[in-house]
Amino acid sequence: MTRRFWVFIEQDHGEMHPVAAELLGVANCLVSEVADELKASGEEAIVEGILVGHNVDNVAKEALMYGAERIYQVDDPAFEHYLNRPYTEALTHLVEKHKPEVFLIGATTLGRDLAGAVATSVKTGLTADCTKLEMGPFRKIEKKLLLATRPAFGGNVIATIVCKDHTPQMATVRPRVFETPVRNPKAKGEIIQESFEVTPEMMAAQLVEFITDQTASLNLEYAEVIVSGGKGLGNPKGFDLIKELADELGGVVGSSRAAVDGGWIDYAHQVGQTGKHVRPKLYVACGISGAIQHKVGMQDSDYILAINTDPQAPIFEVSTLGVVGDLYDVIPEMIKQLRAQKGASA
Amino acid sequence: MSKDKLKYDVIVVGAGMAGSTAAAIAAREGLNVAIIERGVKPGSKNYFGGALYTHALVDIYPDFFDRKPPLERPVTETGFWFLSDDGLVKATVQGGVVNSDPIDAYVALRAEFDLWWAEQAVAEGAFIIPKTLVIDFLYEDGKVVGVKTDRPEGDVYAPVVIVCEGVNNLLTQKLGLIDHDIKVSKTALAVKQLISIPAKDINARLGLPDNNHGMAISVIGDVSMGLAGLGFLYTANSSLSLGVGVTLDALQESGIKPYELLQRYLEHPAIAPLIKDGQMMEYGAHLIPEGGWTTMPRLYTDGVLVAGDAASMVNALHWEGTNMAITAGKQAGLTAVEAHKKGDFSAKSLSTYQDKLSDLFVLQDLKQYRKFSAFLKNHPQFMDIYPTFINDALGMFFTGFGKPKRKLYKDILRSLTSRRPLFKAIGDIIAFGRSIIGI
Amino acid sequence: MIHLLVSVKQVPDTTNIRIDPETGSMIRKGVPAILNPYDAHAVASAAEWKKKLGGKLTVVTMGPPAAEEALQECIEMGADRAVLISDRAFAGSDTLATSYVLAEAIRKIDQEDHVDLVFFGKQAIDGDTAQVGPGVAIRLGLPLVTYAVDIQEINEEENFALIVRKTESGKEIIKTSLPAALTAEKAIADIPYAALPDLITSLKYKPEVWSAQEPVAYDVDQIGLGGSPTMVAKSGSPEAHEPAETINVEENGLAGAVETALGKMLSNTSVAALLEDQQ
Repeated sequence: MTRRFWVFIEQDHGEMHPVAAELLGVANCLVSEVADELKASGEEAIVEGILVGHNVDNVAKEALMYGAERIYQVDDPAFEHYLNRPYTEALTHLVEKHKPEVFLIGATTLGRDLAGAVATSVKTGLTADCTKLEMGPFRKIEKKLLLATRPAFGGNVIATIVCKDHTPQMATVRPRVFETPVRNPKAKGEIIQESFEVTPEMMAAQLVEFITDQTASLNLEYAEVIVSGGKGLGNPKGFDLIKELADELGGVVGSSRAAVDGGWIDYAHQVGQTGKHVRPKLYVACGISGAIQHKVGMQDSDYILAINTDPQAPIFEVSTLGVVGDLYDVIPEMIKQLRAQKGASA
Repeated sequence: MSKDKLKYDVIVVGAGMAGSTAAAIAAREGLNVAIIERGVKPGSKNYFGGALYTHALVDIYPDFFDRKPPLERPVTETGFWFLSDDGLVKATVQGGVVNSDPIDAYVALRAEFDLWWAEQAVAEGAFIIPKTLVIDFLYEDGKVVGVKTDRPEGDVYAPVVIVCEGVNNLLTQKLGLIDHDIKVSKTALAVKQLISIPAKDINARLGLPDNNHGMAISVIGDVSMGLAGLGFLYTANSSLSLGVGVTLDALQESGIKPYELLQRYLEHPAIAPLIKDGQMMEYGAHLIPEGGWTTMPRLYTDGVLVAGDAASMVNALHWEGTNMAITAGKQAGLTAVEAHKKGDFSAKSLSTYQDKLSDLFVLQDLKQYRKFSAFLKNHPQFMDIYPTFINDALGMFFTGFGKPKRKLYKDILRSLTSRRPLFKAIGDIIAFGRSIIGI
Repeated sequence: MIHLLVSVKQVPDTTNIRIDPETGSMIRKGVPAILNPYDAHAVASAAEWKKKLGGKLTVVTMGPPAAEEALQECIEMGADRAVLISDRAFAGSDTLATSYVLAEAIRKIDQEDHVDLVFFGKQAIDGDTAQVGPGVAIRLGLPLVTYAVDIQEINEEENFALIVRKTESGKEIIKTSLPAALTAEKAIADIPYAALPDLITSLKYKPEVWSAQEPVAYDVDQIGLGGSPTMVAKSGSPEAHEPAETINVEENGLAGAVETALGKMLSNTSVAALLEDQQ
């Protein structure tokens, strides 16, 4: 019996979403964690990618380069734009045909729309927005199970969920929670075309029009430098100063939930458990108290600088360096000194 | 949707201590009462130190304790703490008269208690309309016949309205019952923290025998950094409330921020160990009307009665406000019932409300203590020199081992006279006495 | 006459959650229970459309008896009928079991009075999974539009709706036949400030209460703990981190503090390399 570890290869009009690569890395990790069981039972485990779309051959090849050994590809005009019903039915069909043990989907807008529908359709358990995934023992069950860890109650509680009697064990993971594995351009693997008939009934909803958004270019999740503003700014104009520092550091603007809820900045900038998960090389938190649900979204950043007037602010607990002071004083001074340094070295 | 007017026998504005009491009493006598409360739930807009006084609670519900009210610890030890900048003198009393049955005061948390108190009013038949703000009155022939709220189709009619809107008495001002807004010299801002500490640690640190013993302390001295005001400490079941209240004009003039006062208090060398490793659960502030008699509005007019903080019914020295509110609320409710019996809601008919309060401690004490808050402001030595002197005097007395006592007493006296001439100090004591006797 | 239905949930206000340091469990005391914010906006939107088209609005919730308050809030916003599905047998339900309970209840309501559009909030702020809406939709065979930020049109005659869906890269305008389901973002509608008579009506309103047997006879194997494939293996507080080294502006002066901070940052090679790339 082959143990299948599946990853949904999300794509948007022929471009693979980076989260698929991240999940392929995770899937391979999970496989290595059951190596002992495989040895004992003589079974094999395989990481497979599930790809649904139209004219997406190049995506299949990309997915192989990030660690899939095999891709099941459903390629049909009906799947050109994402729609809940046809995608759900196609995946359900594949799951019932191949019976994977684990199925990972990225927790993007598309992924979250799709995962719950597939899990229900297949009658299995799904754990959303996982921050940690591993194969581990659970009670007296002989085979290791997927231990899916996620924050709950706004990040105040960390819970580990198992799905013990149903397969596939499903989980969604937000982009940038896990690292991108190394890309291997020489990777070889099988691409199997799967057919699936889409009936008119499945097409009850249709895309009429698509309007692009300028926040699309924001790409917060993959930015290397992020400067975020929070409630401590006091008013929306504070984000002008944040932008100035971000520009100076070559980064993008992020925000805490408080500032978004206050209508000061668009949700696209929100960093946190219900916003975007980021892991930039440098994260600067300005006027952000560091409530758990924000911390959860940025604590994996490589270097964190926090600026806050309150020395007791929780943000200092996850920061690398903290400056206790008024951001309206500190940031202009910082910009001034950075420019002076640039000038000096020019 | 019926287009009939919304009409009740009595409208009560505010579901706090005064409002829920007035409503309960009126409903108990069979009147159709609506309480209009601006908060999401009764209590969500209320905050205090603090302790509630049993006499007022059982006066409204004789079976009060049988109803299992949400109270924190009983106050079995109470008194004054005098803070110098690094010292503390405790003058508290326990046992004896304090150890009555039931205990005279209980520490409480308002969000919980006010909700429960309002539920008792509902059990008597009152109807609470939450999340709605009363913004003005409805008039007919110059008499109040109801209220306007901030909701669409928000007019509500009643021949008598009992205004229990709290310290920010905008409606009372709108009625012309008082000709000025709240005065910065007569209103205090109190800030406090509720700090969670395991019950056994509270007991150990404060010397309480068990969880059924508690403290209510008035703190005077360094806690208000020389500004007119007092601090406090209350023991809840497994948390401590520590706070300080200072008049608004003192804050304005000094430029000191309320949180700075509070932070300093919490860091005082004698206070910090009490809250070590505690977790801050709540941080809040509220205004307290301290003008008493001097800022009291007229208490009634055609179709209206005013009770509680809205009527400045607070005795700042004795921390009595909630019991005055309950007592006044009860009298307002009874007055409304009588007015309905007579069918007369005129000012003359409602004037019996003030007569009743004059016979009770409420107006008597407010009159007697009318000079107290001005007294504190005009005598800052009570907040700085005297608490420091008390610390020095007792400290020197009890460490004067091996010192010739004559010299010791001279030194002690000098620690006072170097700061304030003796005759002035004596004058201060007399003035203090006069401010509390009311002459 | 159009019949709109909103599925709502009463949740603890998670912005105010505190964990008991001794037991590791949530302190429920003093944490208010609220109508899930996303659901409230969904109800507001449904109420707007009900008024516009002249129709009926039903709300349902699966919850404990206290959830009655959340339903009253929905009546306040304009719902005509509220159903509380409450039974101890439902306790411990994960999202699969919950979607089963709700789907069967909606099916029953639909039998009596055909439902045209089912609304959900995009996610509940306690679980944050966003799974129940899609789960119910697939069980009922309804086309689903998630992350709805606007409804442009509901056309009863020609039986379709135009719904605007927000994605990371922009907005999609989806045309769906009815009946259909959507999950709503807050932007879909503002919460109205109810007229006083409506508020008073809601305060006096008592919802219908459905059990695990009546009027829908639920399959016991699909509800509660028994019907939940997932379970919590363990839970606890998040790990503590090493606190930051802090530099105080008051102590070091503004220029000095910033200089020290930048110095420390640049002594980190990867940050230095990053900033160098900006030159």
